[in-house]
Amino acid sequence: MTTKTRNILLISLGAFFFAVLLMVVCSRKKTERPEPETLTKTVADGTIAEFIKVKLFYHSESSALLQPVTREIKVPESKEELYKKFISLLLISNNGLIIPVPEGVQLRSIFYLRNKEMLVLDFNDNLINAFPGGTAAELEFVYFIVDNFCYNFPEIKKVKILCGGNENKTLAGHIDLEKPFFPDFGRIKNE
Amino acid sequence: MRQIKTTSTILVSLLLLSSMLPALSIDFRTFDHEGFTRIVLQADQSFAFSVRNAPGQLQVLLPKNADFKTESFSGQNSQLLERVTGEVRENNSVVTIFFKGNVSVSKNFVLEKPFRLVFDLVKSEKIPTAAPGVPGNLEAPQGTPPAAQPAKPAASKPRPIETICIDAGHGGEDLGALGKSKLLEKNVTLRISQKLKRLIESKTGLRVIMTRDGDSEVSLNSRASIANNQQAQMFVSIHVNSSFRKSAYGSETYFVSLKATDPEALELARKENQNQEDPGETIQNDELKMILWNMAQTEYIRESSSLAEYIQNELNDLLGTRNRGVKQAPFRVLMRTAMPAVLIETSFISNPAEERKLHSEEFLDKIAFAIFNGISKFIYYYSTIVK
Repeated sequence: MTTKTRNILLISLGAFFFAVLLMVVCSRKKTERPEPETLTKTVADGTIAEFIKVKLFYHSESSALLQPVTREIKVPESKEELYKKFISLLLISNNGLIIPVPEGVQLRSIFYLRNKEMLVLDFNDNLINAFPGGTAAELEFVYFIVDNFCYNFPEIKKVKILCGGNENKTLAGHIDLEKPFFPDFGRIKNE
Repeated sequence: MRQIKTTSTILVSLLLLSSMLPALSIDFRTFDHEGFTRIVLQADQSFAFSVRNAPGQLQVLLPKNADFKTESFSGQNSQLLERVTGEVRENNSVVTIFFKGNVSVSKNFVLEKPFRLVFDLVKSEKIPTAAPGVPGNLEAPQGTPPAAQPAKPAASKPRPIETICIDAGHGGEDLGALGKSKLLEKNVTLRISQKLKRLIESKTGLRVIMTRDGDSEVSLNSRASIANNQQAQMFVSIHVNSSFRKSAYGSETYFVSLKATDPEALELARKENQNQEDPGETIQNDELKMILWNMAQTEYIRESSSLAEYIQNELNDLLGTRNRGVKQAPFRVLMRTAMPAVLIETSFISNPAEERKLHSEEFLDKIAFAIFNGISKFIYYYSTIVK
């Protein structure tokens, strides 16, 4: 085997191993988001119920990044019910944490479109009527909702936000609401 | 040691070579056109230069090996030019362009083969006094001319910037964000926009259009349409920020992000391209056309990103407030603009300290100056990629 052939072989082998390494790293990154942890517990009436552990992410005055708080949700009959329970829990105020949602905003309905892996959340009109304005506020609201859902439920790849049953152009004149949002986990504080 | 020796040898050789460099032969000429006077400095090779403004004149600093074909050129018959002089100094060479009366540089750009540095002068009606420490006029960033510019134009050929569209955010019944002292975002954005318009018009002579010049409500789509229909080559949307976090403060500049729609948009673009390849097949789907028009901004993402960088740098320097940086988000008002486009969040009305500042005309002046300086630097950069 000539030196030239050996060099070519070595370079090819190196490139192959580098590609394999790259694939492994990338595939690890994709599965970084953990499946929700499930556990069983005996509830008040003595029956055994299934729970999942979720991480709720909030802003605070000291950090622009979303910080996690762990909670448990009793798993209901359907996925839609689970999502409803999740958002109810998310909107309960926590000491010192900021919920970037205007007063009086309530969820009207929720749909999960399996084929599109998309969650559709329909809020009442207060979302727009009571929205304080500002790009930062719009982005805080959008990614508070989107990141929380997409982080905890890997089957949700994107979230579409409706208001009063309708598609709206924006919340307060900035971010386009007509298209669904993909999560931005860069907004979540590293643990 | 051997490396140091080699480096020293190279440096000495370069020094020797530079002393033996052929002279940079420079010639001036000028033309009077309707509404502007053009001055051209032509050289037999490209050169590094920088531009300095002074009252009634503009200085172009060149390498010291310049050889002026004429040392002085009189603008006797020119409407705006008094004279041009060339002078070789100890460390450099200087071309000084003396103006007649209130004159400003509306454009400067570089042409190649042969290498030419071009300045267009326009009459200024009124030149406002620059704030302390604020650069006064369109200023070329120091350094090497276009060959060293890294960016290339987007897919479609850009046009030189002649018209700028300023978009004062919100207006009419759309109040925008509200401060604790009842300061309204819509009023602040209009004040800054009007100041910026005056600065651009008086200092560069470029045409400025406003999406609103009073307290009127203009839809987001109409704002983009105004800019597109008027064939503006730059869109600058002025806003004041607000956050659920009262402690949030600082300025940030955005350009559009289409990340959220990328997979669908790419698929639609693919379909559109297929239809263009087959002229017999026409697109009947209005929704498809509409969505594709939503992507008008994709052609200008790179330029928009540069514009955002230039403006944000100036805001950082001048405002001395927190730099929140250049960011991307799917702004509805930017998506349909077919030109470099940015949205500036100048400061936080939801932050009590910043809201107090927003009441001050001096602070608004500073914001307008910073944006103007950023725009000026972008125009220079842009002129080097538009040939």
